[in-house]
Amino acid sequence: MKKTLLSLFSIVALIGLVGCSGEADSGATSENSSKADETSATAVSAKVDETAPDFTLTDATGTAHSLSDFKGKYVVLEWINFDCPFVKKHYVEGNMQRLQNKYIDEGAVWLSICSSAPGKQGYFEGEELTSRMEAEEWMGTAYLNDPTGKVGKLYGATNTPHMFVIGPNGELLYAGAIDDTPSTKASDIPTSTNYVVATIDAAMKGDPIETKATAAYGCSVKY
Amino acid sequence: MFEQVSAARPVNYRPLPAAGPIVTLLLAILVIAASHVAAEPVRVGHVEADLVSEVRSIQPGQPFWVGLEINLDEHWHVYWRNPGDAGLPPKLTWDLPEGFVVEPIQWPYPKKFVVPPLTSFGYSDKVLFPVRITPPVDLAEGEPVTLRTHAEWLVCAEACIPGETDLSLTLPVSQSAPEFDSQRADQFNGVREKLPVEATEWKFGAAVDDTLIQISIRPPEWFTDSLRGVYFFPHDKAIIHNAAEQSLEVTGSGYGLAVPRFKNATGDPERMTGVLYAESGWRGPGSEKAITIDIPVGEGGPIAAAVTDEAAGGIWKAILFAFLGGIILNLMPCVLPVLSLKILGFVNKAGESRKSAVSHGLVFTLGVLLSFWALAGALLILRAGGEQLGWGFQLQSPVFLVILSSFIFLFGLSLLGVFEIGTSLTAVGGKTQSSTGWGGSFLNGVTATVVATPCTAPFMGSALGFSLAQPAWVAMTIFTALGLGMAAPYVVLSASPKLLKFLPKPGRWMETFKQIMGFLLLATVVWLAWVLGIQAGVNALAVLLMALLLIGIGGWIFGRWGTIAMPMPKRGVAYVLSALLLIGGVAFGLAGVSLYGAAPTQASSSSSREGITWEPYTPERYEEALASGEPVFIDFTAAWCLSCQVNERVAFSSAQVRDTFAKKGIVALKADWTSRDDTITRALARYGRNSVPLYVLYDGSNGHEPVVLPEIITPGIVMEALANLEG
Repeated sequence: MKKTLLSLFSIVALIGLVGCSGEADSGATSENSSKADETSATAVSAKVDETAPDFTLTDATGTAHSLSDFKGKYVVLEWINFDCPFVKKHYVEGNMQRLQNKYIDEGAVWLSICSSAPGKQGYFEGEELTSRMEAEEWMGTAYLNDPTGKVGKLYGATNTPHMFVIGPNGELLYAGAIDDTPSTKASDIPTSTNYVVATIDAAMKGDPIETKATAAYGCSVKY
Repeated sequence: MFEQVSAARPVNYRPLPAAGPIVTLLLAILVIAASHVAAEPVRVGHVEADLVSEVRSIQPGQPFWVGLEINLDEHWHVYWRNPGDAGLPPKLTWDLPEGFVVEPIQWPYPKKFVVPPLTSFGYSDKVLFPVRITPPVDLAEGEPVTLRTHAEWLVCAEACIPGETDLSLTLPVSQSAPEFDSQRADQFNGVREKLPVEATEWKFGAAVDDTLIQISIRPPEWFTDSLRGVYFFPHDKAIIHNAAEQSLEVTGSGYGLAVPRFKNATGDPERMTGVLYAESGWRGPGSEKAITIDIPVGEGGPIAAAVTDEAAGGIWKAILFAFLGGIILNLMPCVLPVLSLKILGFVNKAGESRKSAVSHGLVFTLGVLLSFWALAGALLILRAGGEQLGWGFQLQSPVFLVILSSFIFLFGLSLLGVFEIGTSLTAVGGKTQSSTGWGGSFLNGVTATVVATPCTAPFMGSALGFSLAQPAWVAMTIFTALGLGMAAPYVVLSASPKLLKFLPKPGRWMETFKQIMGFLLLATVVWLAWVLGIQAGVNALAVLLMALLLIGIGGWIFGRWGTIAMPMPKRGVAYVLSALLLIGGVAFGLAGVSLYGAAPTQASSSSSREGITWEPYTPERYEEALASGEPVFIDFTAAWCLSCQVNERVAFSSAQVRDTFAKKGIVALKADWTSRDDTITRALARYGRNSVPLYVLYDGSNGHEPVVLPEIITPGIVMEALANLEG
């Protein structure tokens, strides 16, 4: 039936020589609707090979620490959330504490920064924080709270753990994952390559740093 | 606040007890009776995990699909292969019986989870991760098979909790084709719709600078919708700034997607690999939303520029090619019989004044143009209404074939002298000779166009494909160029007295010539009848021949008793009788065709004299052949397309070509467009065409562009194309 109509149509069109009014729709118009999320692009200013931006945060006892206080030393920044399984992976069998001890012994500074907003997972203060640090046998230089998330966003910290290594001249040497095995299992650690170790060891020896940036893995930072 | 990391909870397997062979046998029977035994879903924290199968039994050697099904509590999600700013994709570690081969997880396209300033990619609510497993060919029947896997995942809401469990699934083995579990099959089909597909017709380019990845997107010519809601999900981490907005803009040649880069990127990626998502669908509303891309990254912006230039030149090139194509159309096999009419017309007019000759040329041109406009206009309107039609569509209709062959048959009889329209009417009306010929010239133009259009001339294929994807005014301009091209030689001939001098003087020979042309027209009728036979079968063909007989008798009565030599009463009766026979004949033909015009039966595969084995084209066979990596040759053809028929006789019957097809193991697909076929219309659109012939060769390597052969092929052209194939 359809075919019959169709051909009748074309015959009529032909024999009657009906003028035609082509009404196929014209050109493709498109609107941009890839509406993405709030790009809270607080213009990330921490970039590898550039000077790490300065900041001042207070520790559990209320003492203020600034990055500029540690000029001339290697500084490791560790974004932390004790309740994140990826952070636990590195604390449960003492891996992170071992690194903290080792590099502080070698003259470096280890700052653990918690950017969890108050009330969100991983945020502790005062008494609760000190007892938790003790329980986790945390061994760093200072545990700093960043309740507004200002420093976390300044460095573009997305995950816990998220690691940054800063050289004695203030240059950001490394930013990214702690190692090359995204998992929550402590049993994966012995077979992984630790990027923080690789960076500091190479830099201290004066060797070129092979991997300067990776994508961090872990929990999201609870801004 | 404090989330306990849940410990692994092993699943209880259902091991076959070693109590004795009889118990084992009984259990095996039970297992088979229950069709298949899946482990119960396992609850771990906020997740319910299960290993499910699409089939109820396994056939040795036959791949089947299983999947990790995850049901999530509200607000919790698991992750895609690239989790984005946080998370981990699920992981399966298989423990399968010997000889089983398991493929990686197929990832449905993800959702974005936005918690500013972070964005991750994953799934909420319910998700199925399909996995294809191929059992060994020599798998023994009878003994059920247990598939075991260890599943690990990370599930996050605000907090993240890793989970893991052992899962298993027991399926019987049977030599018969696996029976599908209908509910599961629905579930698997649902997730298949979300698996990214290849989109070979779309063209992509990529370029990067310090902060942006630019992905240029060029739609295929048939794509007339607009693209919306486009987002690039890279397969790897550290490529894009996950939380940043990706902006799509319309460019001269399509679209450009600007994707902010991962900010600490060191060095530039060499390829962009991932999933390109479009809310609007890649084949129009409701179609696939996700495609995979894997494109090399170019330098800066030359890709976009190159693409734009090409499109801008498109219209002018199409108009030029349409004009040239129109001229060449006169030489196509299906036009030759009609060409004779025109030659005759010119011989007739040769003796007249120059002014009259020019007028005839212009009237002929008008006939051609109006016919082209009518055809193109009808095509555009019908396509706008959603019909899958292409150029030459009128010959896909049996009804049209009946009318056209009746018309040409009458014309032929008239030329053979059975009756004469011109003289009798002239005499009756007493008009001057030159004015009567005008209607004839006009009709010549119409006939020539109607018969000529299905023969896609060289150059014209791409011009037509291009034009029909354009706005209506562009399409009509191109068809005008085509019509002008076709009429051009005659206009030139009629406008130049010098050229006219070369034509012979009218005389007795004209009668002979006219009769020869009459036979040529009858040959055209034979061709049309053959086309109808293929479309509607032998009964419809017989009906057509019967109708032609009636029309023939009508013409004979008209010629014998309808002339002015006859007295009026007799002449009147002759008029009435011949009109009745003519109308009755056509009506009989139309009625018969719609009665017998059953869908044509297609041979499953045809071989031309032990030559190439042609398989009928189906989208499934096409995909399968491409996936298998074999070279594929597709012949888009139709019985009514004489160029196609000539090509096939000339090129594919060559022993050398046949041997090469066999030696190189080329999969030969024949897409027969004789009758209306929407799948073939869509397949043509894939190459930017809507006309036949079209010859396409894939060399079998993945991701390679097909080679499109010219519309007129010779054994040499085919051999040259085949020579580039490996092996």
